[in-house]
Amino acid sequence: MTLVELLIAMIVLTVGILALVAAYSSGYVALNRATRVSSATLVADSQMERFRALQYSAIALNTGCGASCTEDTTYTGDTAYSAATAVTGCSSTTESTCLPTQTKTGPDGKSYRLDTYIEYSCVSGTYVSPTSCGSGNPYPVKRVTLVVRSSILTSPVREQSDFTAFPGS
Amino acid sequence: MHSPTRARLSRRARARATAEDGFTLIELLVSMVILLIVMASLASVLVSATNSEVDANNRFQAQEQARTGLTFLTRELHCASAVAVINTSGSALAAGTAGAGITETVPSSCATSGGQTLYVTWCTAASTLNTSDWALYRMTSTASQPTCTSSGQVKWVDYLTTSTPFCLPSTTAACSGVLRPASSLPMLHVAMPVNLNGPTSTIATYDVVDDIALRNGARS
Repeated sequence: MTLVELLIAMIVLTVGILALVAAYSSGYVALNRATRVSSATLVADSQMERFRALQYSAIALNTGCGASCTEDTTYTGDTAYSAATAVTGCSSTTESTCLPTQTKTGPDGKSYRLDTYIEYSCVSGTYVSPTSCGSGNPYPVKRVTLVVRSSILTSPVREQSDFTAFPGS
Repeated sequence: MHSPTRARLSRRARARATAEDGFTLIELLVSMVILLIVMASLASVLVSATNSEVDANNRFQAQEQARTGLTFLTRELHCASAVAVINTSGSALAAGTAGAGITETVPSSCATSGGQTLYVTWCTAASTLNTSDWALYRMTSTASQPTCTSSGQVKWVDYLTTSTPFCLPSTTAACSGVLRPASSLPMLHVAMPVNLNGPTSTIATYDVVDDIALRNGARS
């Protein structure tokens, strides 16, 4: 075996070992990301469950709740945001369903930013007012969109549900 | 350097690079020892990676079990009535007090009832997989409310680090800081911290927490 052959063999071996290490490393990153996605989903599920317990009239945001939950550019830049159809009127600064932006701890103990959007939405017709989607169309529903953000997530986790004003709700 | 000298050195290097004399026994032994060291360190990395993978898989299974249990519980409670939090002896507890189990009545129209009115009890019992942990069981009866027992029952969650995962908050009595909001349906606060290595483990616990709306309850 010549020196050149030996060097080539060593390079091939090094490349093989590095590929093996890279495979383990990318597996770990994928596993970590999957954990974050499932934790973020649980954060969203838990928050949506709180909306399900509320009366229709109580589903609203507090847009003047102070610096800790003020709508920033990340909040207003989301596709779910629309100032014209936003449902406001909640005065609580402590009830989590009223806060546009808040930080929640996930089941993995990590912090997640939870953005809540509540908008009037028309199943048919065009939004006119909280009680009208134009003549002959059903009333608007309140569409709750939850967006959970974290720096490790490649894209935020989103969850959406519509709430209708059934009698007694 | 003179060009004859350079040419001589170049010739010598080329001759050495293309020489096919083979290795001496010493060279062979040294290379084998180096290879052995490299392979041993590589093997130890692979073994520890495999152990980590097995541990991670077990933890994911336990976490997945908790999430699945919570999903089923949520689905059932959305349709159930007469939900109460109980202690290990089956007595109902006051609002804001954490208990080992819950009792509920599931009407025949509900998806999880199997077509007939079902009395369901969920409660915790010592885990059979880890002595310091707890497991959550579901027991059913069509005749009367079943009492807490793990024997022959369906286990939904294991490796719980608490024996009291259930609590009913009111507008004045909180469960882990959670109050029932005004004009809200009643909620069941469920906290299922899961840890494969027991409650005293230094490895982070996976804490599944939810406030499940009891849709057949009366508003506050």
